[in-house]
Amino acid sequence: MAERSSFDISRLPGFATVAVTVFVLLYLPIAMLVVFSFNAGDSVAIWEGFSFRWYPEAWQNEEVKDVTFRSLKIATAAALISTTVATMAALGTTRRRATRGQTFVYVMINQPLMVPEIVTGVALLIFFSTIKVATGYQGLGYLILAHSAFCIPFAYLPIRARLEGMDLTLETAASDLYANRWQTFRHVTLPLVAPGAVAGLMLAFVTSLDDVVITLFVKSAGQDTLPTYMLAQIRRSVSAEVNAISTLLLLLTVVLLTAFFLLTRKRS
Amino acid sequence: MSETAVEARETRKVYGQGAAAVTALGGVSLAIRKGEFFTLLGPSGCGKTTLLKLIAGFESPTAGQILLHGSDITFDPPNTRPVNTVFQSYALFPHLTVAENIGFGPKMQGRPKAEIAETVKRMLALVRMEQMADRKPGQLSGGQQQRVALARALAPAPKVLLLDEPLSALDLKLRKEMQIELKRLQVETGITFIFVTHDQEEALTMSDRIGVMQAGRLLQVGDPRAIYTRPANRFVASFIGESNFLHGTLRGNEMTLDAGPVLPVEKGDNAPAAGPVTAAIRPEQIRIAAGGGIPAKVRDTVYFGTDTHCVATLSDGTEITVRLQSPVSGDVGLHPGSDVHLRFEPGALIVLPEET
Ligand SMILES: Nc1ncnc2c1ncn2[C@@H]1O[C@H](COP(=O)(O)OP(=O)(O)O)[C@@H](O)[C@H]1O
Ligand SMILES: [Mg+2]
Repeated sequence: MAERSSFDISRLPGFATVAVTVFVLLYLPIAMLVVFSFNAGDSVAIWEGFSFRWYPEAWQNEEVKDVTFRSLKIATAAALISTTVATMAALGTTRRRATRGQTFVYVMINQPLMVPEIVTGVALLIFFSTIKVATGYQGLGYLILAHSAFCIPFAYLPIRARLEGMDLTLETAASDLYANRWQTFRHVTLPLVAPGAVAGLMLAFVTSLDDVVITLFVKSAGQDTLPTYMLAQIRRSVSAEVNAISTLLLLLTVVLLTAFFLLTRKRS
Repeated sequence: MSETAVEARETRKVYGQGAAAVTALGGVSLAIRKGEFFTLLGPSGCGKTTLLKLIAGFESPTAGQILLHGSDITFDPPNTRPVNTVFQSYALFPHLTVAENIGFGPKMQGRPKAEIAETVKRMLALVRMEQMADRKPGQLSGGQQQRVALARALAPAPKVLLLDEPLSALDLKLRKEMQIELKRLQVETGITFIFVTHDQEEALTMSDRIGVMQAGRLLQVGDPRAIYTRPANRFVASFIGESNFLHGTLRGNEMTLDAGPVLPVEKGDNAPAAGPVTAAIRPEQIRIAAGGGIPAKVRDTVYFGTDTHCVATLSDGTEITVRLQSPVSGDVGLHPGSDVHLRFEPGALIVLPEET
């Protein structure tokens, strides 16, 4: 009886058609990309038989290697920095009774989710160019900082969820059992937050790895990352190499997100 | 003073400020002896947990002092006090094994590894959990978690163990078992236990002494017999066991009931010398006689198995409950409306102090 009265979207006429269309639109292009990464010919539109040739070919391209390592370097650094900051932010926002400024603080932390990337990109471009002029430093630091900033909310959300589910009596119990503040953090709080932090780390890593807009604005000459390099390649001529790289990136993302899902699910 | 384990001196605790202020403890003074099983008994919200938190160091008092073995620890942080707590929710560390949970305190105290291992082994044996050493708390039943929580709190060999309603989450059978277990542990370890409960039966059966609390005040401290037989006031008389209350006028050692008869009375602590008073008597201290006592009319009888309760009314309408041992037939032979005479055991009618 309760079932009949509740609203069930899957019973609306045409639901199945819409759902199938959406899935096809979402996944067919990706499926084609993966399929054509195994194409024997040069074309990305005409199937000429199965081959692995694009994978070693992409790998032998010095430029591809170069941008891949740069991307991984930036993503690793940004994930570590943003997760550290996010952990501290989550500890700061979940350990107190709700205060008046709470919502404001959440909005500030999650700002990168709400402000259009293009705005952040332009703002950082102007800000960093002033610093570049003043200091003369041209290195990867700007990209790492920019990526760290927009990765913070992605790292923050799973960590906060984890902390909110944690019983504060555990910390009281630790202090009762002769642990000082640092020992309490080290032996109780940190191990309990760890799964959230690892999930945050992976989410931040994936987010950094595929950023285009902000990177385009912030990077100096010769600082292409994998996504901006691919974009440049495609603009010149569509290369089957790009398909192979994309497929590998897709694989990495799927692996990390699956691990993220398993980590965050385990709690309950 | 070396016989005192914990002392509270005029300890006050007010939560919040201004209009939202809640006085959880209003000037409690109490001395708990070394090695005793002391119970804080009182209804929910009377300030029992607050007093434990002040002793453990999780909260600081608004005024007054807390002393441990004679030294002032009022503002010492919890991790420097040789006092451990068994939490109502157990608060076992979910990421550590049973053995690691028990070893946590000694480890934080910086004891050598071999000594920790030895302590853990001894504690596991003490609470009979040797088989469970490598389990995580999530894989244990409620009663087993309770034992681990006890072992964990005892492992650092504290001077005082605080237990905040540790048995309230257990079902009746397990609770009875754990009551015996707790008492055994206290005797075996010789550690001072401060036990909190709102269950008067639990308090009476387990404690060396009981402190009865109400609304942030300590009403009476004494051994279970004293608390039961000489309640200090009406609240204690009705909260611990059942009591009948009679109104009348006191002159010397005799009381003229409002219902007419004159009876000899015992005076409780702080009882007035004369004038209008209230006196209390337990239902099992009253006999039903054929003649010679106070005339009453039976209103109802209620069968409880071993006991039968008979509710009778005096001539002024006062209701008196009498507890009778049920006879073999189960029928005490008293019917609503029949006339009876109530005879009070000598010394059982206690004059209470005036309510303030
Ligand atoms: N952290 C707190 N903030 C405000 N009021 C509190 C707090 N803790 C307890 N109280 C209040 O203090 C009183 C005593 O509480 P408590 O010591 O927990 O009682 P008990 O353990 O006897 O049930 C209650 O009225 C309770 O609402
Ligand atoms: Mg309580």
